[in-house]
Amino acid sequence: MDPRPDGPLLAREEQQLVEGLLAGNEDAVRALYARYARPIFTLGLRLLGSAEAAEELTQDVFLAAWRKAARFDPSRGRLSTWLMTIAHNLAVDRLRRETGVTRPRLVLVDQVPEVLGPDEDEVLMERDVAIRALQSLSDAEKQLLARAYFGGLTAREISEADHIPLGTVKTRLRTALIKVRRANQDKERP
Amino acid sequence: MNCLEVRELLPELAVGVLSSEDHERVERHLQWCAGCRKEATDLGAAAATFAFALEPAPVPQGLGDRVVSRVRRAAGTPGTPRRARMAAAAVAAAMVAVASLGWGAAMAGRADRFAERAERAEREQAAALERFQRVLAGVIPGQELPDDETHLGQLRPVAGGSGGGAVLQLVSPTILDFVMVTVSGLDPAETAALPYRVRLENSGGDVLRAGRIDELDADGGADVFHEFKTADLSGYTTVTVVDASGEVVLSGVVDQSA
Repeated sequence: MDPRPDGPLLAREEQQLVEGLLAGNEDAVRALYARYARPIFTLGLRLLGSAEAAEELTQDVFLAAWRKAARFDPSRGRLSTWLMTIAHNLAVDRLRRETGVTRPRLVLVDQVPEVLGPDEDEVLMERDVAIRALQSLSDAEKQLLARAYFGGLTAREISEADHIPLGTVKTRLRTALIKVRRANQDKERP
Repeated sequence: MNCLEVRELLPELAVGVLSSEDHERVERHLQWCAGCRKEATDLGAAAATFAFALEPAPVPQGLGDRVVSRVRRAAGTPGTPRRARMAAAAVAAAMVAVASLGWGAAMAGRADRFAERAERAEREQAAALERFQRVLAGVIPGQELPDDETHLGQLRPVAGGSGGGAVLQLVSPTILDFVMVTVSGLDPAETAALPYRVRLENSGGDVLRAGRIDELDADGGADVFHEFKTADLSGYTTVTVVDASGEVVLSGVVDQSA
């Protein structure tokens, strides 16, 4: 089902996988899982703080992706981005419902600890691209984005905590995101 | 909400910290504003970069099987009869076709420039039907599916409510009839309204149940697919979505004459 197990998917291949997912096709679900389960689980672990919660999140993400599959539009972004957005939104929703969640230390740049399977080559490439893109940011910009993305802090909360105008926080967030986007643009879909 | 206001909120949308109220307002704007949608897509992709930069953690053994099992159970794939399964496979792209009508089409009747919007909605509808026809023809080889067997309709909110949607019906002598309904813009926080039920009615007042919506996604959206193994959908042109108390929240008419 996965037509290119060793590299990034073309838009039509992503669409095929999503259509397979919508139909509940096992091969399609397994192909998607092989490619994306690891970053989804990792994000869950980082945000929710336990392997159990991350596992639940991973299951919820694939189920939500099945439910939303009809709305996936390859012209609006890559499948990996779409899945990670679902994962992040579900995790943040859960965080807001719970309190006292302990989160592990944030590690953005480190060596990959073990050999990954062939289906996960794309994940490695995504990570390589991501790390390089984040290098375009200053430490202050990384911290700002991390506080929002991983910490769930709104622009207003950051503004109040740092005693800087709300408009300045929003502008800095946007500027940082645009920098990352520009750094990513050379590595768009093949 | 204008583009300036929306753009100010897009960075927070991208990093997932927008309040649900603002989130809903922004999403409504994005349904019809291509410029802001492009900006939202770009910023969202940038934010996702953070997730990919994390040091990968080992995934528990057996999780893949549990994921597959959950999705397959939800999709109801095991034991589906051949004809039904073929139709269900067609749902994949057909849902895309229906979803593409979503808000743009549903909002047509509420827009200031009605004629222009209505014309655009009509073009979108024709394109969606064409895509659907192509997909269905590919899924069921040798099955000619005349244009007059597929019909579309739009759902609009009742009594000043929110939301919209689209309906696609297949009324065919050779394939099981089915209906697909995509809704969006209902209030996900209003859990007392759940479950919503989708009903089809003919001119004689006969009602067919087309499914129920037990939960909405963050956009207030949901999809319903129902295949009718015995009933013929001819004449069942009035489509309503009612909430748990029986109040109609969305309604529309499918044009089966097309």
